[in-house]
Amino acid sequence: MRTYILRRLLQIIPTVLMITLVVFLMMQSIPGDPVVSLLGDAYTEENAIRARQEYGLDKPIMVQYFIWLGKLVRGDWGASILSGRPVLQDVLVRLPVTLELIVLSMAVALAIAIPAAIIGALRQNTWADYTATSVAMVGVSVPEFFLGVLLLLVFSVGLGGLLPSSGWVYFPGTCQTVVCAASLWGNTQHVLMPAIALGVGRAALLTRLLRASMLEVIRTEYVTTARAKGLSERPVVLKHALKNALIPTVTVMGLQVGFLIGGAIVVETLFAMPGLGTFGIDAIIARDYQQVQGFALITAIAFVVINLIVDLTYTFLDPRIRYA
Amino acid sequence: MRSMRPLLGPILGISLLLSLTVAAATEAQTPKRGGTLRVSYGNEIAHLDFHTAPGYEMMWVAMNVGCGLVNITPDGKFVGDAAETWQMSSDGLLYTFKLRPNVLFHDGTKVDAAAVKFSIERLMDPATGSGMRTFYESVHSVEVLDPSTVQIRLKHPYAFMLHMLAGYRTGLILYSPTATQKFTLEDRKQGKPGAVVGCGPFKLVEWVKGGHLVMDRFDKYFQPGLPYLDRVIIRVIKDPVTEMAAFKNGEIDFIASFSPEHVDTMKAQNPRAQIMTGKETTPMVAQMRVTVPKDGKPMSKDRAPHPIFSDGRVRKAVGCHGIDRREIVKIAFKGQATPWVGIIPPGTLDTVDVNQMCPYDPARAKALLAEAGYGPQKPLTFELMTNTEKSVFNVIVTVIKEQMARIGVTANIRLVDKVTWMAAANQDGPWDMYVEDLLSLLTLDSNGFLSTTGAAWNHTRHTDTKVDDYYARYAREMDPVKRKAIAKEFAEFSADKLYWNTISGSPFYMVAQPWMKGYTYNAEFEVHYDKVWLDK
Repeated sequence: MRTYILRRLLQIIPTVLMITLVVFLMMQSIPGDPVVSLLGDAYTEENAIRARQEYGLDKPIMVQYFIWLGKLVRGDWGASILSGRPVLQDVLVRLPVTLELIVLSMAVALAIAIPAAIIGALRQNTWADYTATSVAMVGVSVPEFFLGVLLLLVFSVGLGGLLPSSGWVYFPGTCQTVVCAASLWGNTQHVLMPAIALGVGRAALLTRLLRASMLEVIRTEYVTTARAKGLSERPVVLKHALKNALIPTVTVMGLQVGFLIGGAIVVETLFAMPGLGTFGIDAIIARDYQQVQGFALITAIAFVVINLIVDLTYTFLDPRIRYA
Repeated sequence: MRSMRPLLGPILGISLLLSLTVAAATEAQTPKRGGTLRVSYGNEIAHLDFHTAPGYEMMWVAMNVGCGLVNITPDGKFVGDAAETWQMSSDGLLYTFKLRPNVLFHDGTKVDAAAVKFSIERLMDPATGSGMRTFYESVHSVEVLDPSTVQIRLKHPYAFMLHMLAGYRTGLILYSPTATQKFTLEDRKQGKPGAVVGCGPFKLVEWVKGGHLVMDRFDKYFQPGLPYLDRVIIRVIKDPVTEMAAFKNGEIDFIASFSPEHVDTMKAQNPRAQIMTGKETTPMVAQMRVTVPKDGKPMSKDRAPHPIFSDGRVRKAVGCHGIDRREIVKIAFKGQATPWVGIIPPGTLDTVDVNQMCPYDPARAKALLAEAGYGPQKPLTFELMTNTEKSVFNVIVTVIKEQMARIGVTANIRLVDKVTWMAAANQDGPWDMYVEDLLSLLTLDSNGFLSTTGAAWNHTRHTDTKVDDYYARYAREMDPVKRKAIAKEFAEFSADKLYWNTISGSPFYMVAQPWMKGYTYNAEFEVHYDKVWLDK
């Protein structure tokens, strides 16, 4: 097991490097110039030349990449071309916000998907199943930004400001700034709408997947055996059927992290959250290459690590699975 | 006497009530000290070196953390900032500023003549790379007469010296020489504690990019009793719907720049909100490219005529008679802007109405196009670029496309993001016409930055030095009446040549909660929180 984890961790390195290289080349190929963002109305040819030299943007693309890589090896993620701020410092400030959003949106997704899928599977072709399936279809079809605006209009505007519309209150212990609001209740209030907006789409997908998986599992012989042994329905469904049906769902959950990061860009922008999503999109818009690289690096690491964790949970869900 | 007695009670009662009402009203208008002003910006602050950072968001921070020599009021009067008095020599070549004795930088050092000299010389130094440098072209030298007296010597008279020091971009922001030498440029850009040192009413506490910017009251600010607020917190809310929800919820007190297309909704949702606007000082333009690099190398000095718009007849057909400015204003701004042709917007100093020179006349447009060789046999097609920064741009290009179709011209819309637009426009890239609203203009002089032949922002790349002559004559003329005459002549010249093509003014809105008091609206030029207080 330890060897397996070590091997997977080592595999992260080439994967992440490949991702950062592709992102770097893609950023260089799109129109626009970070120097234009940097200088704004101070743009002149001579200022632009000076800035390019200062930030090494006049060097060949691959040289720029290897300079970035060389710094990375020494633990230096570079500095934003625009603000001059160290990328790693900004990433670490923003990471807890996005991590919390992703974890909670996944929790929202599971909280909806598991009961809906169980009901759908156990009451197949009844109104309950049709309702769960229909709601799932609607959930998949509604984009995050639309649901986010709806939530905003209902809970922030319509219900007299029941929930705050924007901003962030940190989960106690996660704030790294001098001036910061941190409280459990404030944090819950701020994360609720974004997590729902991001989680509902995933819930719909997971419901459909888990329902199909459950339908397959509840017809297997070991479930029939469990029932024949006289076990009540609850342990049969939760312990025997659900646990085994979860394996494909967990795989998809891992893959969904990428979509969640993409969705976080939209949701964080809508709710004005200081997370990695807004960090990434601001960087792309400004062509702040260093910051984009930082964003790509952290999301690639997060994606690979989360998928490793997903793979490891298979051993818990199905003891027959062994890693060597 | 006896008959008066029954009235005495009610009279006394009414008097008491009146006096209480007056007292309450007086108390309500007496500024209250303390509290936190929560401000929303629609865009991120680029960085915090005030002399080089781009964007209004940075400027509105600079104006509160920093101080300068003078400020300008909405009616164009100059008021002293760090300077107590100032005078100009009779030949217009010497400006002498007497500084207040009690002005301190946030690091405790004194704001003296040496600091003024240091700051201006830093702005003028090409190595600094400041966008303000071009405005100091007329400055010959800065001399320290004594610790509290500084003299700016000019190479030639410059009628807009005080305007420039007060309100061109940030105006002059004084830097503490001690702090500037102690910290690096990178420290300042990042907003490291202690690196961003000004002499304004608020000191920078923290900037978390993408999070917040916090400024606290500077207790040793030179204006006694000011500022009233304890703290200002600035957050970035990019989505106008979220911004409106946050405002309605009372999560923010002030929206520093509000999108015009949502003003009606804001009014309906918040009838008590203070919606501030004023004269239009930003031009909405549909610029037409005049020259392109002959050798294909961007920014090449060797220029060739643009294949379409180098022909003045085509510029006139398309930009003058082919564009229905009233229709654009009606559709894009719901009538809340002024159709305009002049080189500077309707609210800028010395603007001139030359709308009669460009009446909407599709028949005349078609005739001009035919004269230039375009018609059904050879239809004119060009690319109409705009960017995604403001949704109103998209509406305008759509209307223009429709208007072009009416004169037999095809305008192909190219929608790009702001940086791509800036790169194409600033770096002499490929484009034919673009729609944008550029910068807010305090004076006609400040537009030289965008339209003289040598200006980096001369996007159309016209090479007509008559434009430069007009700007120079205008800026050096010290007689306001003669200056106004030059402005008129220039506006007519511009409407004829159309190197610069204004469509309308671009309205600017700020929104404040009813409890925010003491703010003086002065468009984008002056955003000061020193006299703001919260009545709650």
